[in-house]
Amino acid sequence: MLLSILEFEETIGKFWNKFLDKKTSKSHESERVFFEDKSKALKVFYHLLGGQRAKELQVTDKRHIDTSRSLYEKISNAGNSFFLASQDEKALYLPASFAYFATKELNEMLYFWLVAMATKTDYYRGTLFYKNNNAAQELINRYPGFRVFYESASAYLLEQNEKLSYIKSFNEEALVDAQSIDSLNAYPFVMWIYPPKDSKSKYSDFDDEDEPVRGDEKPELTETLKMKKQSQKMDDDKETDGLVAFLPESMMSIMDKVNVDRSEDDSFDEDALYNAEDLDEITLGNKKANLSARLKMDLDLAVHSQEEYPVGDGHFIDEYNYKTDSYLKNYVCINTHIITNIEELKLPLRLKKMVKKIERELDLMELERVKNSRLPYGDEINLDTWIDYKGHLNKSGHHQNFYESYERKSRDISTLILADVSLSTEAGITQEIRVIDMIKDALIVFSEALEKLQDKFAIYTFSSLKNTNVRYEIVKNFNEKYSDFTRGRIDAIKPGYYTRMGAGIRESTKILAKQKTQNKLLLIISDGKPNDVDRYDGRYGIEDTKKAIIEAKKMGLTPFCITIDLEAKEYLPYLFGRNGYAVIREPKKLPTIVPEIYMNLTK
Amino acid sequence: MSNTYYLSQSNEVELFQAAASMNLPVLIKGPTGCGKTRFIESMGEKLDRKVYTVVCHDDLSAADLIGRHLINEHGTFWQDGPLTKAVREGGICYLDEIIEARKDTTVVLHSLADYRRVLPIDRTGELIEAHPDFMLVVSYNPGYQNVLKGMKPSTKQRFISLSFDYPKPEIEKEIIIKESGVNAEVAQKLVNIAGEIRQLTDSDIEEAVSTRLLVYSAKLIVNGFDPYQACMHSIVESLSDEDEVLEVLRKLIGLHFSS
Repeated sequence: MLLSILEFEETIGKFWNKFLDKKTSKSHESERVFFEDKSKALKVFYHLLGGQRAKELQVTDKRHIDTSRSLYEKISNAGNSFFLASQDEKALYLPASFAYFATKELNEMLYFWLVAMATKTDYYRGTLFYKNNNAAQELINRYPGFRVFYESASAYLLEQNEKLSYIKSFNEEALVDAQSIDSLNAYPFVMWIYPPKDSKSKYSDFDDEDEPVRGDEKPELTETLKMKKQSQKMDDDKETDGLVAFLPESMMSIMDKVNVDRSEDDSFDEDALYNAEDLDEITLGNKKANLSARLKMDLDLAVHSQEEYPVGDGHFIDEYNYKTDSYLKNYVCINTHIITNIEELKLPLRLKKMVKKIERELDLMELERVKNSRLPYGDEINLDTWIDYKGHLNKSGHHQNFYESYERKSRDISTLILADVSLSTEAGITQEIRVIDMIKDALIVFSEALEKLQDKFAIYTFSSLKNTNVRYEIVKNFNEKYSDFTRGRIDAIKPGYYTRMGAGIRESTKILAKQKTQNKLLLIISDGKPNDVDRYDGRYGIEDTKKAIIEAKKMGLTPFCITIDLEAKEYLPYLFGRNGYAVIREPKKLPTIVPEIYMNLTK
Repeated sequence: MSNTYYLSQSNEVELFQAAASMNLPVLIKGPTGCGKTRFIESMGEKLDRKVYTVVCHDDLSAADLIGRHLINEHGTFWQDGPLTKAVREGGICYLDEIIEARKDTTVVLHSLADYRRVLPIDRTGELIEAHPDFMLVVSYNPGYQNVLKGMKPSTKQRFISLSFDYPKPEIEKEIIIKESGVNAEVAQKLVNIAGEIRQLTDSDIEEAVSTRLLVYSAKLIVNGFDPYQACMHSIVESLSDEDEVLEVLRKLIGLHFSS
């Protein structure tokens, strides 16, 4: 009985919501365009127009603006919160979707327009109106396409909404007090970039935990709230009676205060996400779990279900300390492992198509055939030598080696692939796929390509836990044949902890330098900066890695790094030189891109 | 008097002239289509020296540079290669894209690129002293990443180096107008487009748009082609195979040349 009453109430509620929505929204639902679908293109466009590379493009949250509203709007509580484009030092925030205009093209163009506006406006200086007006003028003078768009789109929006008339009157240079427009309570105009939503930084004074944040923090594997929420700090340290009343715009509500420690609760709650999207602001408590009661330990859990077989008892190598410009002798312990008891693995079906495609490309790439001329016997007569002989005055002293042969030469190159399998590779690309899965797929596809090319190669992985334990795992050494066993071993790769890259590079350099080929390529596949829990973080790690790379180059190796870390632009040129690295924007493309990069490197 | 049009960007002309007068070999680095070859041709005219251009590739043998015996009705005779010709008679021997050549081929340059200035020819037993007007110039594009290729440091360190880049906007505009006869407004737009595309780095596109491509589109436009189409075919399509990047580049061209 109670249930049916509730259901009835819900139905009425839904109907009422729909009715009010219709009355208050003025949009073209069928032509709605979503930021998610355009985000990649928008980012490229942002770079094209000179936007800062380190900046993110994110979805904005609604913001509250006091405007005059119609009766319906007041009842439905619509018309006072808006999704507006804004930016700060970190990111450019754009609405999640647009449906203002009658065609998809125009709604899409509004995104491009806002991205272009963002490259022309300063986010703190200048008044709102002048800033946007100047930026818009600059854009329409430079791009006729934007001129057409801006004129028609702004005219349409002004016509749709008489509350925007202040813009029109200003455009017509009527005397309007610009300050009143900049009070931020004027009806917002969606074609403008607004100031950062929260420039007062109300939450900067939160206490950090009492232990340092580690660089390789495990990213959230669940879905996250993809918008910037206004946060408000609440003092929940005081013991109150747990009843808080507050008066929002249109209703009185009573909230229970419950101490829930979200920082410790890592279960994924879809309802929470749904509710969070709908909140005006999120209030954060300052209370942490009782830290003194927490045990601090590195759990020594078995990483693998297969058996790990240590190769040797571990050995020590040096590490470079940039502060003293000297080496710490035998400071790092390398523990080499190999996984035994693995199951053979045939080429997975999902990769077959990709491998076929790459093999076709390799077929087009003609393998180097080397001509040996001046032979006493061979496939063909070399006319050059014969003519030389004919032109020679002293024929008796001539060797008369007139023949030449072609032989298909195996390319004179050894490649050692060193994959970073730190904890960060556990990160999810989608709900099902992790970075480590893409690295494994890339290793399999790449091995197939190398096998086809008959290039010598080896695969090792590394991860670390302080200087006392750098796990260095043999997946395939240079002498081993590539087989179903190798694939099984690639499949058995599990993420470890941190990224002591210098040690990984030094160990690989030793192995690769012993190869007899003329060219030696050290190919590092990584997903982030060098770092570890001890001092190996920030500059120390970068400098040690750079030193290791210099050592490798001195040994005649060519180091090259492929990374999926988009922030890598800052440190990679310093580590590997301008032509020594490639950044992949899409981790999913790793399996196809790695062989391509290799082919370009060794054509 | 120079007939080849070349607009200097900084001090490259003076530097080249100085190197020529002091018999120093020159290495020119720069992205494709930025005017390296044009520069050499115009310098050849300026200095009144013949330019022997060899475009290097991985099948280029030392014989292709030095020369070989050939046959005619009287028997065999020796035919000088472009390098030997320049060494004997004076002139600029210009090896374009030198890193495409195999390393063992470029070793023959060593004795020419230092104080000795001699070229030994094994097959004829000659040792040729270089003509006073002989000059060795090599060029390559540092943007190509290749493990198997690259100049040996011992080769690299025998040259005076000049780094070229795409011209500054105002110079580039002037070049486009001069080369194609397009009007200043369109030329300015093309320069703006190029400037924007060059903001993208190697992670988005393989190589930035070159001055040569801009001249191509300007020529198409002058010939009555629709500007949007001209840019699409000469600039955009060759830059990337990625759909998202292409989409954005199309949008950009559309914004500049709105019909």
